[in-house]
Amino acid sequence: MRNDSSRTVVASSAAGWPRARVAKLTGLLALVVFVVAFPRMAADPFILSVGVIIMSYAVLATSWNFVGGFTGYISLGHASYSGLGGYATVLLILHTGVNPWLAMFLGGVIVALLAIPIGIASLRVRGASFVIVSIALVLILLLVFQSWGSFTGGSNGLRVPRPFGDEVLRPEQHERFFYLHAVLLAIAVLCWWLIDRSRFGTGLKAIREDEDKAQSLGVPTFAYKLVVFVISAFFTALGGGMYALWFGFLDPIFQFSILTGSYMVLMSLLGGIRNVFGPILGAVIVGYAMEFFKAQYGDTQIHLVALGVLLGIVVLFMPDGILPALRGLVIRFRPQATSIREVTQEELTRDATGSREESATDRGTGTKEEVSG
Amino acid sequence: MTGSLLLQSLVLGVLLGGLYALLAAGLTLYFGVMRVVMIAHSAFLILAAYLAWYFSQQTGLDPLLSLVFTVPLFFGVGVVMQRLLISRLRPATLTMMSVLLTFSVALVIEGTLGFLFGGTHRRIQLPYAGTSFEIFGANIALVKLIAFGLAAIALAGLYVLLKFTPLGQALRATIQHPEAAQLVGINTDRVAGYGFGLGLATAAIGGTALALDSTIYPSLHWHWIGPLMAIIVVGGLGSIPGAAIAAMALGLGQSLLQIPLGTTWAQTFFYLALFATLMLHPQGFFGDRLAQRF
Repeated sequence: MRNDSSRTVVASSAAGWPRARVAKLTGLLALVVFVVAFPRMAADPFILSVGVIIMSYAVLATSWNFVGGFTGYISLGHASYSGLGGYATVLLILHTGVNPWLAMFLGGVIVALLAIPIGIASLRVRGASFVIVSIALVLILLLVFQSWGSFTGGSNGLRVPRPFGDEVLRPEQHERFFYLHAVLLAIAVLCWWLIDRSRFGTGLKAIREDEDKAQSLGVPTFAYKLVVFVISAFFTALGGGMYALWFGFLDPIFQFSILTGSYMVLMSLLGGIRNVFGPILGAVIVGYAMEFFKAQYGDTQIHLVALGVLLGIVVLFMPDGILPALRGLVIRFRPQATSIREVTQEELTRDATGSREESATDRGTGTKEEVSG
Repeated sequence: MTGSLLLQSLVLGVLLGGLYALLAAGLTLYFGVMRVVMIAHSAFLILAAYLAWYFSQQTGLDPLLSLVFTVPLFFGVGVVMQRLLISRLRPATLTMMSVLLTFSVALVIEGTLGFLFGGTHRRIQLPYAGTSFEIFGANIALVKLIAFGLAAIALAGLYVLLKFTPLGQALRATIQHPEAAQLVGINTDRVAGYGFGLGLATAAIGGTALALDSTIYPSLHWHWIGPLMAIIVVGGLGSIPGAAIAAMALGLGQSLLQIPLGTTWAQTFFYLALFATLMLHPQGFFGDRLAQRF
């Protein structure tokens, strides 16, 4: 009997939400189909390489969003972890000769371990100090990796051995790396989604809304922040390592650049940090715009101005991102189905008395209403 | 290490620390009046240095004369920036978003400078660039002394302004307690704008001082923002004396460490100090407990 009733509740609630869920699943399916089909549709290897870059940005932005989206701590220095991940991968391959993919994973683990003391130091402070520390970390690492030439190759950079044999040509490589990045992205998105639905995620979001209140309600704020920080560093390092294997060359100026970190922030904010697909949407828009600017204006400094203006516009006018703005638009133009409506006090009392009379005359429908709701 | 080398480094450390102190005081002002960390501070510093360079290039006059128009210009820009950009942000996320907003301003400045003047290194040719004199075996370049003098005068001016004028009183009241300042009739919005203007004016003076004796290029501001940020965190966010003391101490430390370590590794001193401060004393050595929250 109890089983029966719970099943009917589930069925009726599923029936009550069919459109939203179907739309979501269709959207997800369309996204997957598009990603799988993209290398076939790409007209030439250049377009495909742009696809790989955008995919890589999507991985990095999603990884960034573990910290930025859940806890609201904006890190401008996530390039430290992608750069460290890239260098760890390549140095492991060069010095120990392990399999490149194992090296990439080990690189991620090493960076995650390094992120523990860094997190302990930087998460003790909030807001601005946290951002300062994240920037400082990139600047230190840039200094170290440029100066420590004997180990890191210094300013000359490091050549990365190709993970596939010489018989795999460049376009083929692009295609393989596109799919590999897509798999990594899918894992990161799945992780984000799982955390989002868990008690852990609820605690993190409580930190974002009001850290003091969360703490006084018993959320172990520091431990939660540290764990999610390490997860974020791990995925960022994997993304950095995979990008290094694809790109084939590491230069400290580009690996430890504040710009890389600010791209991650811009993409996530633009798409919407509270949504699992926000950073991906942001990566597509910003990545495409960047490649467009490079193709149109070459190597001038104008792309910095464009990045700055875009970031400023997003921060000033759209701090919640595109996806929430779109949802707001949909809700506004959809027929009002929510229980909260704008009614005057008179209407409210009239409705209340009216429905009381109604429920008195027809009690049966009233209870049925309650069960399905 | 000989005595004269040590003395030389000490003197250079003090001269450098003076410039750091002025710039860190500007950063502290922004933070005090608005709880804003101004990443673009060092970008404005480089902008002022470029303006000084361009001025002396075009007119052939001494770059110090460019202060006559850069200081009022930067003050105005600061007031406008606070009124039009910073005050539009939501109070709940002001600190984080202001970092991003000022970061984007820094990018726009760097990109514009790179677009207009190119990435080449620029240097002002001064007739007195080679002049130097000796004190107890330490060799001090005249331009470094002028730069220090500028910074010292500006800091002293800022001190007098904050301590003895009505505007200074209003500024300090706004920094200490904005609501209470409003209750006693201070227009804190306007005062915050003036605070921003003053902060940017310090960047104008610092930039001119910087242009006297160093090579400038558009992306130079990244080398300044890191140490400056480290200074204000070590000194305690929001405390001007703390910022000045930390600036002097860290400037001296960097200068002394250059002897055994070389210039590149000596820069890491700032960041080590920053991390040590966060581990031992997160609110900084002169800040109040409030600083930890921002």
